[in-house]
Amino acid sequence: MAINKILIIDDEKDIVKFLSMSLKIDGYETVTAYNGKQGIEVFKKEQPDIVLTDIKMPEMDGLEVLRQIKMIDPETEVILITGHGDIDSTIAALQRGASDFINKPVKDEALAIALKRAEAKIYMRRQLEQYTCNLEDKITEATHEIKRKSNFQKLLIRSSNDGIAATDSDWKFVICNPEAEKIFGCKFSDIVNKIDIETLYPSDIAKSFKKAAKEDKDENLDWKETTFPSKDGNSIPIRFSGRILYKNEKMIGSVAFFQDLTDIKKLETELVQSEKMAAVGQTVSGLAHYVKNILVGLKGGSYVVDVGIKKNNTDKLIAGWDTIKKNIARVSDLVQDLISYSKEREPDYQICLPNDIIIEVVDLVKDVAKKNNIKITTKLDPAIKETSMDPQTIHRSLLNLITNAMDACLDDIDTDKNFGISIKTYLGANNIFCIEVEDNGSGMNDETQGKLFTSFFSTKGGKGTGLGLLLTKKLIEEHRGTINAKTNLGMGTIFTIELPYKETETELKELTKEDLS
Amino acid sequence: MSKKVLVVDDDPDVRTFIVTVLEENNFTPIVAQDGVEGLQKIEEENPDLVTLDVLMPRGSGIRLYRKLKTDPSLKNIPVIMLTGITLKSFLRSQKTLSEFQGEKVPVPDFYLEKPVEPEELIDAINESLKG
Repeated sequence: MAINKILIIDDEKDIVKFLSMSLKIDGYETVTAYNGKQGIEVFKKEQPDIVLTDIKMPEMDGLEVLRQIKMIDPETEVILITGHGDIDSTIAALQRGASDFINKPVKDEALAIALKRAEAKIYMRRQLEQYTCNLEDKITEATHEIKRKSNFQKLLIRSSNDGIAATDSDWKFVICNPEAEKIFGCKFSDIVNKIDIETLYPSDIAKSFKKAAKEDKDENLDWKETTFPSKDGNSIPIRFSGRILYKNEKMIGSVAFFQDLTDIKKLETELVQSEKMAAVGQTVSGLAHYVKNILVGLKGGSYVVDVGIKKNNTDKLIAGWDTIKKNIARVSDLVQDLISYSKEREPDYQICLPNDIIIEVVDLVKDVAKKNNIKITTKLDPAIKETSMDPQTIHRSLLNLITNAMDACLDDIDTDKNFGISIKTYLGANNIFCIEVEDNGSGMNDETQGKLFTSFFSTKGGKGTGLGLLLTKKLIEEHRGTINAKTNLGMGTIFTIELPYKETETELKELTKEDLS
Repeated sequence: MSKKVLVVDDDPDVRTFIVTVLEENNFTPIVAQDGVEGLQKIEEENPDLVTLDVLMPRGSGIRLYRKLKTDPSLKNIPVIMLTGITLKSFLRSQKTLSEFQGEKVPVPDFYLEKPVEPEELIDAINESLKG
């Protein structure tokens, strides 16, 4: 808004005319009055920005004009035109808010300077007004934004799937969302500012918070799984994390996040259950297949026996009866396997020489291996001494692994290989006794390898129960050991069994020492 | 003169059974326990018909079947597949090999899944020898 309307009040008409003319030339709009009363009326009507008024006027003088104008609009700039001997009135006028004065006779420069000053004052005031106005708008806007954000955050906290609870620096609760109420089993109103975390949280959670505060830890606590005792005496499985809150490096509170794992745990259990069911399904179908093969054998055998009886042919009788006996043995093996698999068995620890057991097993299979052109080699570590182990575990596991290794050789499509199986024993770190069975047979693809120990699975068609490796794994685990396989399709496989090992002698020595002391 | 039938199967029980069935029906059985021995016996003995197992340790039935059906001097010997695996898996493996080797083999005349009844086998053999 430009400043250009000036009201001129003077009882001397010539001065009014002169001033009006000169101001118009300078680009101002002027309105005029020839006495104080008229001046006030014009002021009300025209609302000029600046008023130029003579001090000495009949009836209403300049001081009164100033007073009334300031009452109407205190922000109007009033410049007084003074003559000689008006010093006292001038001072009074300045005290009452006049912005400036110029002496009669009015000189152009003096008037220009006075107007400039008045304009500058108005300009500054308007700027200030605008600025204040803006500031108020900005504050309103910012307040809205803050409100919006805080509402959003409140909503976020309220409707979060995680339980969220915050405390002040005295560990007293100040925030607790509905999910947290559910886990805590109490209403926010019951705990707000009343109880601290040690009363409500399980001690392990409370401890980790206090520890973090003590260490000035300014990062989230690691997510940890634990349980929260519920009101009904059960416990709720949860995951929790949290953070100590700081302001200017001073601890001002804490916030904790809880995830209720009840549903997840339930799903996990269901998953395990359904996997078990699937395993049972596979077992049943694997078993059915195996049993069918036995039946084929029995049927064939009885046919041959029938022929033998009919023809009185002893050879046939023997051959058929052999088949039947063999298949009866297969049934009994299967039943044995099933029983051992389903039964918990404690290893029968005995003092033995593991390397000797390995030689025994190799002796057992060497004829079959030779017949199939498979060379079995052994490399047994002489450092392995007498120890307490279950010889049955080693015997059965190794026999199974070697049988598998031979099958892997016979199964290989590359029949030109020089097939070999090597059995190695050695002592690993931390008193671990290792048996390695390596073959250069067919190896396994990823799918077969993935199913090795997990389900009743066989690649041997009707010849395997699909229980062998599962049983081996069970035996080894009951013996607190592990079994692993490394395989390369077309190149071969290495199975490694690791069992805890302790020399009997050292054990005895320790015992004696204890006895002596 | 009775016809010569070669039984190729790694399972001795199956061999005993099939041999007995064949003898009972006036065939002359010969046996081989794997694909390699099977081919050797075919060349030596020149059988009239072959019964062939699929899953065998050395030289599988799948390979021997292909060998028989792609060799001009052998491809007229009738082959009866006698096995524990399904026809579907057998055909799938043949199809894969056909694509791989770029050579097609005909579907076997008879594909019997174990357990096989003696009459079923004899019918299949008689049918094959007629053709």
